[in-house]
Amino acid sequence: MTFQQAAEAHLDDVYGYLAWFTSDRFAAEDLTAVTFERALRLWHRFDPDRGSVRTWLCQVARTVALDHFRSERRRTRREELAAPPEAIDFRFAEGLSPDLEMALARLTAGEREVVALRVLLDLDAGAAARILGISATNCTTRLNRALKKLEEALHVAA
Amino acid sequence: MSQRDLVAELRAAHVEAPPEVRERVRLVAAGAPAPPRRFTWRRSLVVLVPVAAAIAATIVFTRPAEHQQTALEFGRPPVTLAPNVGAATDRAAKAFAVPSPKNRVQTYDATLSLRVERAHDVSDGVKRALRITTSLGGYSQSVHAETHGSSAVADLKLRIPRSRIQKAMAELAQIGTITDENVSTVDQTALLNNTDREIARLQKQVAALRTQPRSDENDRRIAALVTRIERLQRGEATTRRNAHYATVSLHLETPPVIVAQHKHGPLHGVGVALTWLGIGVVYALAIGAPGAVLLVLLWLGIRVVRRRRENALLQI
Repeated sequence: MTFQQAAEAHLDDVYGYLAWFTSDRFAAEDLTAVTFERALRLWHRFDPDRGSVRTWLCQVARTVALDHFRSERRRTRREELAAPPEAIDFRFAEGLSPDLEMALARLTAGEREVVALRVLLDLDAGAAARILGISATNCTTRLNRALKKLEEALHVAA
Repeated sequence: MSQRDLVAELRAAHVEAPPEVRERVRLVAAGAPAPPRRFTWRRSLVVLVPVAAAIAATIVFTRPAEHQQTALEFGRPPVTLAPNVGAATDRAAKAFAVPSPKNRVQTYDATLSLRVERAHDVSDGVKRALRITTSLGGYSQSVHAETHGSSAVADLKLRIPRSRIQKAMAELAQIGTITDENVSTVDQTALLNNTDREIARLQKQVAALRTQPRSDENDRRIAALVTRIERLQRGEATTRRNAHYATVSLHLETPPVIVAQHKHGPLHGVGVALTWLGIGVVYALAIGAPGAVLLVLLWLGIRVVRRRRENALLQI
């Protein structure tokens, strides 16, 4: 598989993962482009024997997203002193109920990340755990907690 | 809403990248170079490991066995080993075939060193040598034998009639394998002739003195001459008796143990290599293990710190 084919096949997956992870559409668009630029530089390191292209691209995307979170944290610390951040109206996906959209927005980035990997991208526990750098059991535990939190939030909204 | 319904709704959601992002990624992907041939370290190992093993095996198995050659040199006797006893006997008989004219008097000394296989053969060889000596009319002047475990040595001094020395040497040579031989003959005929002439001269003097009138002085001179003549005659008789018997110094011994110690099997090189490899591994473990433990602890610490920072970062 060439890089062009990989990019074409998994662009939506990477964008969706980053959009749910960051809960910021504009950031997700930029980070998606940065992810594929970095992936192109690292493409010679990709080994199909160690995992699928989608898993590898998600690992690259996660590194890019974490860098983004770090720089965002530094920036918001400075800016919060001057003015509080504006609330951004963001839709996670087409077809989700407003209550579910709101419940997703209340999750932490770590919880949204595991939901995106396991539910949205439908990765198995092993692949998701490899991306997160944790064990498969830990990954499943995180997912269950996130889903329970979503369920509780939906009950409250109902 | 149950958790199952929740997951179903989430899975039904569809996220699609905006067209401008798609266009940007296409531009990025268009700059990708043609995929080169991939030589990963795993694929390289698949080739390199068998090649390295083949080279190592070639070095180990084709190395000249220096130890074996040295051992053979050590173990090689001074004279070529002749397992054929008949050939050794012939050679011994030829070596001791020193001409002995019957009208001449000669003293004969021979040294014969033999190698036998076991310590028990040394004991048997001593008995056999004594039997040969007595059967030929000789006698043993001295016998000395020692045994140390699997090695043994014996030294015999045998006196054998000169006329039967060749037969004796041929039979003694059959006891073992000849490793050394030496013959020495000294002609005593001229010495005995001089003694005879001296005795004759002294006897003439005695006869001349006896023709003279008797006196104390004359009797004393005659007695001195007679004493001297008797002493010369005894010496002459001793020389002739010694020349009648040949002296044979027989040395029996077992092969040196060093030969057995240096025999190595075909896999000796592999054994030595593995021994040194084991020693190297032990040293590497002793020196490298503490460092490796420290590195592992450091890596675990860094990982824990990173994980905590990452979790803190994602709690937003």
